Amino acid sequence: MISVQNIIQDLEGLIQELEQSLDQASSFQELEKIRVEYLGRKGRLAQVMSRLPELGKEERPVAGKKANEVKQKLFELFEGKKEAIEQEKNQIDLATFDPTIPGRNPDVGSLHPITRVIEDICSVFIGLGYDVVSGPEVENDFYNFEALNIPPEHPARDMQDTLYISDKILLRTHTSPLQVRTMLKRKPPVAAVAPGKVYRRDSDLTHTPMFHQIEGFLVDTRVSMADLRGTLTAFLHRIFGPKTRVRFRPSFFPFTEPSAEVDISCVMCGGKGKIDGQTCRVCKETGWVEILGCGMIDPAVFAMVDYDPEKYSGFAFGLGVERIAMLKYGIGDLRMFFDNDIRFLQQFV
Amino acid sequence: MLLSLNWLREFTPYEGSIEELAAKLTMLGLEVEEIIEPFAHLAGIVVGHVLECKPHPNSDHLSLCRVDVGEEVLPIVCGAPNVASGQKVPVALVGTTMPAGFKIKKAKIRGEISQGMICSETELELGTDSSGIMVLDDNLKPGIPLVSALGLDEYVFDIGVTPNRADCLSVLGLAREVATSFDLPLNLPEFDLVEDAGLDCAREVEIIIDDPDLCPLYQARILTGCQIKQSPAWMRYRLMAVGIRPINNIVDVTNYVLMELGQPQHAFDRELLAGQIIRVARAKQGMEIVTLDDQVRKLEDSDLLIWDAEKPVALAGIMGGANSEIKQDSTEVLLECAIFNPPTIRKTARRLGLSSEASFRFERGVDQVGSAYALDRATYLMATLSGGKVAKGVAKAEPRPFVSCQINFRPKRASEYLALDVDETFCARTLTKLGCVVEENGDVWQVTPPSYRLDLEREVDLIEEVGRVYGLDKIPAHLPRISKSLDDENIDYNYDFTLKVKKWACGLGLQEAINYSFVGTQDLDLLGIAEQGRVLICNPLTEEQNVLRPELLPGLLQTLKINIGQGHKRLRLFEVAHTFIQDQESDTETRENNRLGILLYGQRHASHWPFKDEEVDYTDIKGLVDHFVQVFRCTPVQFKLAEEHPYLNPCVICESGDGKKLGFIGRLKPELAKPYKAKSAVWCADFDLDLVQKTYQSQEVKFKNIPRFPVVRRDMTIVAPLTLRFAQVTEVIEKLNIPILESVVLVDIYQPEGASEKNLSLRLTYRHPERTLKDKEVNKAHQKIGEAVLENLDVRFP
Repeated sequence: MISVQNIIQDLEGLIQELEQSLDQASSFQELEKIRVEYLGRKGRLAQVMSRLPELGKEERPVAGKKANEVKQKLFELFEGKKEAIEQEKNQIDLATFDPTIPGRNPDVGSLHPITRVIEDICSVFIGLGYDVVSGPEVENDFYNFEALNIPPEHPARDMQDTLYISDKILLRTHTSPLQVRTMLKRKPPVAAVAPGKVYRRDSDLTHTPMFHQIEGFLVDTRVSMADLRGTLTAFLHRIFGPKTRVRFRPSFFPFTEPSAEVDISCVMCGGKGKIDGQTCRVCKETGWVEILGCGMIDPAVFAMVDYDPEKYSGFAFGLGVERIAMLKYGIGDLRMFFDNDIRFLQQFV
Repeated sequence: MLLSLNWLREFTPYEGSIEELAAKLTMLGLEVEEIIEPFAHLAGIVVGHVLECKPHPNSDHLSLCRVDVGEEVLPIVCGAPNVASGQKVPVALVGTTMPAGFKIKKAKIRGEISQGMICSETELELGTDSSGIMVLDDNLKPGIPLVSALGLDEYVFDIGVTPNRADCLSVLGLAREVATSFDLPLNLPEFDLVEDAGLDCAREVEIIIDDPDLCPLYQARILTGCQIKQSPAWMRYRLMAVGIRPINNIVDVTNYVLMELGQPQHAFDRELLAGQIIRVARAKQGMEIVTLDDQVRKLEDSDLLIWDAEKPVALAGIMGGANSEIKQDSTEVLLECAIFNPPTIRKTARRLGLSSEASFRFERGVDQVGSAYALDRATYLMATLSGGKVAKGVAKAEPRPFVSCQINFRPKRASEYLALDVDETFCARTLTKLGCVVEENGDVWQVTPPSYRLDLEREVDLIEEVGRVYGLDKIPAHLPRISKSLDDENIDYNYDFTLKVKKWACGLGLQEAINYSFVGTQDLDLLGIAEQGRVLICNPLTEEQNVLRPELLPGLLQTLKINIGQGHKRLRLFEVAHTFIQDQESDTETRENNRLGILLYGQRHASHWPFKDEEVDYTDIKGLVDHFVQVFRCTPVQFKLAEEHPYLNPCVICESGDGKKLGFIGRLKPELAKPYKAKSAVWCADFDLDLVQKTYQSQEVKFKNIPRFPVVRRDMTIVAPLTLRFAQVTEVIEKLNIPILESVVLVDIYQPEGASEKNLSLRLTYRHPERTLKDKEVNKAHQKIGEAVLENLDVRFP
């Protein structure tokens, strides 16, 4: 006959033994072995428990109670150790975690700097209420020249060396035909900008046969030169910063009168003409850089689109996108734009 | 236009700084592009006085001189035969860099010390005389710089004169502007022309003008007994300063007066002119003339010529003929001073590629009223410099006398338009100063511009003048309120859409390229692109840029080539641009098509862990296209293998639901990879954005309720021949039109190497929108699909 004391002794002995075993365990595998040994279906605890029916009826509840207490305790010890090992493992994992390995990164795309500058400029004008319009790159002589007050054999044609498809069909030399095309379609008030490719028969260090322009124009009643200056000043401040100074200089375009060239204080030297005592290579010491051409739309253009010049007035401006991109990003060589070397392209993300 | 500051000062006494003058001219619309110092190479050359000159002890042709150069007396060895004591000579001091590039050093020449060099005209680039040293005026003080000793034009402005300001293509015209803006007097050169009453010019020559529109005025003077020689130094140096090569005293005068007064003139050797007639008439088609530069010029019947009684003697307004040129032995001169029709001159000059100082001015318009003065001025100078006698009077025909226009001008309109505070007094004063006759007459004035301002024709031209003189830079800034209507039917969405596509591509890790719109026909030929429909440029810069791109790939492949040439091994490019095809229906005879091009080359992923080394294949480009058609609402689309394509193999056509060709995908044929230096497959796509944009804009996003009931997924694996296309399977299933079938997805293709069959694993998803599906109905549907697949396709189940 076994006694209650024996059973209790065995049960309490289990606690001590388990503690000892757990002390030596350091991995989940060892822990699992211990679990099977003590707490498994045929483990040490189960073996002791299996002897309970051998006790007398009155002794069983005492032993049963004790058995449950011990079982509880064993589980606690076991779980405690398991947590400790887990914690230790987490610490080791963290210590060996390398946050600097390369990720499974998707490729980084880029937009051509010309696209970027066109978007920057157009969004300023969209914000001011302008539409963005587009048109063909192969143009008629009429839209490109005649309707813009440049008749055949006019010396102003020298200002733009033209690539021809045939006698009367050419690659547009500026985005100004969009003035005419848009005004023919709409009645004033009209406010639009027209970005796009333009072409000239010219290729050297500072000219490429294809480049980009943005034309902008506003026609309404009582539009004056002050509106032109206000619009361009606001726009140039947005693109080059609020400290940029803007200068109007008389010039000539057949389709505007008066016409002006607009200069801004040099973006490189801030208009000082010198950097650390050296001549600024961007403005060549003048402190100014030419940025765009503009003027009040010539009445001759209005006559072509059937707008009454006594009732309406308007302004127009045209700017070279490459020039602005070169100033804005500090690109020195114009031809880089169309070489498309990916070392160039990938900088514009 | 090159303007010498000294020359300008002869016309108006400007005494301010060069910088201020340059800034003023620029702000008047006469942009000073550069300030040139034409004789900068003479810095370091001073006047020397040869105190002593004796033969070199060790040479029979060298002289040993002692030269006073102001501060000191230098020993100089000189090899010129004409050097003599007492002369004033130009001396290059030690340290001077000569125009030819060498530097003067202290030297020992055959044992004698030489500290400097006495120079000849050629060595100073002041002329062509290299026979000996230059001998200067005796009155010059030793030590002063040669530039000031000779009174050379030290500063010359290079002014960008806009095409409208023909009047500013002369010293006189620019002096008028300077005088106006600095409020200075304008002084015209005064001279006393002495005529020889013995010879009456009008009797000697008759002027006949065939077409008055082409030549409103022709006048000529005659000089006799001229001696042709070199012009005096002051004239030669001045012409050199403004970039004109001196020739002889007669020709130099015509050039001098051209620069001075803006009136081109031409001198004929009168003895070489036949008869006593000068005729202005058109050329005959196909005839030839030899011009002064000894070039044979083939003429057309639109060209205007000057004829004597027998033959053409000059290309009117452009260049004289070789047959009547002033030569060393000429003595009789007929000096022409005429006005020609600008477009006629321009057309001929352009066609012949022969732009001269004369044609440049005639194209832009020359002052008809001022021409008589210019003729007299040139005649006077010629007579003075050549010792010739001037025949009495002028031979002249003026079938179209100049008529000045009268312009209505409203001062109020000017101040409104310019937004400048320009009052009536300012307007009147400015216009008057510019040479206009102003009749102030209430609100509307009558203004008559001067004959030299051919650009002033309308009120707005006068407004510009008022603004220009007041200062356009003083215009205030005011941001206008734009009141245009929003419901415009003509809204242009191209920009928005194109930008959206570009951002899509950028977001997918592609890099945007921008190529020229033109390529060479040889590029298109190489790719086998049809010759028909090509849009050719008739005056291309180079053969590599003589045709507009009918497709985007020829350009993108150039980008590929350049980048591979730079050692790049992996490219993911896109471009959005127009392509061009002939189209007689279009008003520009060209159909432009906005397109998207994509090019993939090299490794699929960046070459780093955890990616594997794999080259891009069809699934990469196809995946981009699948994404594209979904984002831009073009689904459903069909992909069909094209039977043939000039440069792609395979080439897959992507069609919209209604059968329109949205674009194509493919791999550059391997035999074409080599010319572009590609070492592995090049995959590309080319899509019609105009069509995609139309589809996109016609599709509104419509919300569908999110289904609440669970799905049932069933897989189906079929064993199929290698030729079976996935779309054939989906077509069969779609035809069954099973309402509870939500989707069919290809989850695996298993095709062991060398096998004659492949396994396609499909995952079919079933769902009912309003209730939970029962197993039985799913089984039924799934079975139906299985049967249909077996029945319609050459496949089996494993």
